[in-house]
Amino acid sequence: MVLVMGETGSGKSSLLRLINGLVPHHTGGILAGDISVDGISTRSVKPGSLAHLVGIVGQNPINGFVTDIVEEELAFTMEALNFPADVMRKRVEEVLDLLGLSALRNRSIATLSGGEQQRVAIGAALVMHPKVLVLDEPTSALDPIAAEEVLSILHRLVHDLSVTVIVAEHRLERVIQFVDRIIFIEGNGETSIGPAEDILKMSDLVPPIVKLARALNLHEIGTSVREVRRQTESIRDGNYPDIPTISRTSETAIDISHVSYRYGEKVALNNVSTSIQQGEIVAIMGRNGAGKSTFLHSIVGLDSPHAGSISVNGMDPTNLKGEERRNAIGYVPQEPSDLLFAPSVEEECAIADRSNNLSAGSTAALLNRLVPHISLHAHPNDLSEGQRLALVLSIVLSSNPDVLVLDEPTRGLDYRAKNLFSIALKEYASQFNRPVLLATHDVELVAELADRVLFLAEGEIVADGSTLDVLLSSPAFAPQVAKVMSPKPWLTVSDVVSAIEGKP
Amino acid sequence: MKQTLHPLTLWVGSILIAIGVVVLNNPFVALATVGAVGLLVYIRRDGSPWSASFSLSLRIGALILAIRTIVGILIGVPIPGRTLFSLPILHLPSWMPGIRIGGAVTLERLSSSLHEGVIIATLIALFGAATSLTSPHKLLRVTPSFIYEIGITLVIATSIFPQLAMSAKRIRTAQKLRGMEGAGLRTIALPLLEESLARSLQLAASMDARGYGISKKRSRYRPQRWLMRDNFVVLTSLLLALVMVTR
Repeated sequence: MVLVMGETGSGKSSLLRLINGLVPHHTGGILAGDISVDGISTRSVKPGSLAHLVGIVGQNPINGFVTDIVEEELAFTMEALNFPADVMRKRVEEVLDLLGLSALRNRSIATLSGGEQQRVAIGAALVMHPKVLVLDEPTSALDPIAAEEVLSILHRLVHDLSVTVIVAEHRLERVIQFVDRIIFIEGNGETSIGPAEDILKMSDLVPPIVKLARALNLHEIGTSVREVRRQTESIRDGNYPDIPTISRTSETAIDISHVSYRYGEKVALNNVSTSIQQGEIVAIMGRNGAGKSTFLHSIVGLDSPHAGSISVNGMDPTNLKGEERRNAIGYVPQEPSDLLFAPSVEEECAIADRSNNLSAGSTAALLNRLVPHISLHAHPNDLSEGQRLALVLSIVLSSNPDVLVLDEPTRGLDYRAKNLFSIALKEYASQFNRPVLLATHDVELVAELADRVLFLAEGEIVADGSTLDVLLSSPAFAPQVAKVMSPKPWLTVSDVVSAIEGKP
Repeated sequence: MKQTLHPLTLWVGSILIAIGVVVLNNPFVALATVGAVGLLVYIRRDGSPWSASFSLSLRIGALILAIRTIVGILIGVPIPGRTLFSLPILHLPSWMPGIRIGGAVTLERLSSSLHEGVIIATLIALFGAATSLTSPHKLLRVTPSFIYEIGITLVIATSIFPQLAMSAKRIRTAQKLRGMEGAGLRTIALPLLEESLARSLQLAASMDARGYGISKKRSRYRPQRWLMRDNFVVLTSLLLALVMVTR
């Protein structure tokens, strides 16, 4: 199994699509050099002719589905290549069993969960018995448990069925334990290729486990929790003074009481009550479909709850309009590009300046602090994910909102971008003493950033407490450092280091 | 009776009944047919994106009925009979003889327009019902290979429309939250267009990578069989049509 890693915008997707010839046959461009798969050069054949050798699963599998039923989707490639009916039936059955999709075979694809859709996409590629399976960010949209399922299937493919799997991922902490070799695309176009441990030793882009190993000066860089645990036994056995927790008492910013919301028959939120203090950073976690988005939409004032009430700084969010809303609540949606419509970065900033009565250039200055060196003349769609998020964040922050709400902000961000983003959010919360709410699957981000975690399941809050308590109590949602250092109550590398050195 | 029918069954049935309705030319029977068909659609609805076709076709039918009636009243061959009310006559130049705008509106004229309108609306409703109960994907699988390419374009287009509607809503929501009230078409159009282009490219890449278009011939994974219940539906429609034609 090979991992392709690199910062956002470094060319990982292009590298993957070179393997089956989509680049350059489908996308255009000039290719120098040669790529051959099993002896066939991608120059000489169209991507479809390699379909029996290379299976590719793109970033958003839902955009690649052609039919509406799972079984028919699996059979699509074979039909297109004119396979006889009995071979098709046999292969579809095999793949259904392999991926555990038998129960879903007649379901409509649109009704499946993210993890199930991902498995169908993998199945549609596997049905051709390819020698190489290429996946572009397979776990970015999935919660930790669904991600585990997909990754263990990939692991099995490699070890049992001798398929070569090539994965591009940002969330290294999820994949790193399965990986044999790494292709690291550095910023300047150079790549380093080698065994996982060697590349990780010299790279800046590393998962928390490796950072921990470096911080503790361990002999070897382990790639799995088990390896690092073995090396840190002595540290875990020691006694350390408790880190004093800073308890912050401040006034309530958002009050949510007995809120219920229904979509027709389905209950999305069921009698939810909680309150959020000023200056708190609260993470909202839960499986897809548990009600996170509905929860955020109710707080932001998009959906008026059917029962109960919400007040944001004393106001009912559904009644806000225009400028008043901008100043009260800042919302960064799941697709940040929904908010962008101007043809250049410069113009977006100018529009934000104008609508908020700021002096020209203020938003651009804010953007520059978040992510320096963004060309002002670039079209927002040409920016990398991290840059686009920074642009949207600066636009939202330029109206100086009293509350900041973000929906899955770190999909597609590499560690460096996530770090900058965390710093910006922490600054906002502490400097202005305002609350930040974010819905996310990213456990590592939550460990670094959040003070409090709300866990939603089936429309109800099942856990509401400090980050330490909630993350430590669930094995599936624990960050890597916590898994390594269990039972010690440490969530991040800096927690470990400060505990050992004895200072907060 | 939630069993699946062959995709062509309902279409054949609709065509047969449509022939019967036209030949019989009785508006009350036609309205009864629309009612029966509506009941059928309601019983067998399954919530898929194309199920909304029937209500859409009813609305189109009603619109056509209204237009036809108004045009029939204003411009139409005057049928002598009981005058209901009079409209002022608009004189036309002499090179347009035989057409008269305005004048006396008779009951016969009105009922004749309504009659024709109802028949047309019934036909539209019948085909709307067939559309809303047949999955376009299944219909695609029974089309012969040479029109497959066109067919698949149509099918993908129909599955994209609900997605586009959702995207437009999402974008409008996000912009409303940016404090841009009354987000006009211009501000939504651009992100929507970019998103649909990006989606289509992704879909095309995926189909390309899966070998679409490589081989001239296509095989069929699971041929849709024509079963007894399909015969039953077609025969019933045939009988109804015959009854209507011979009356």
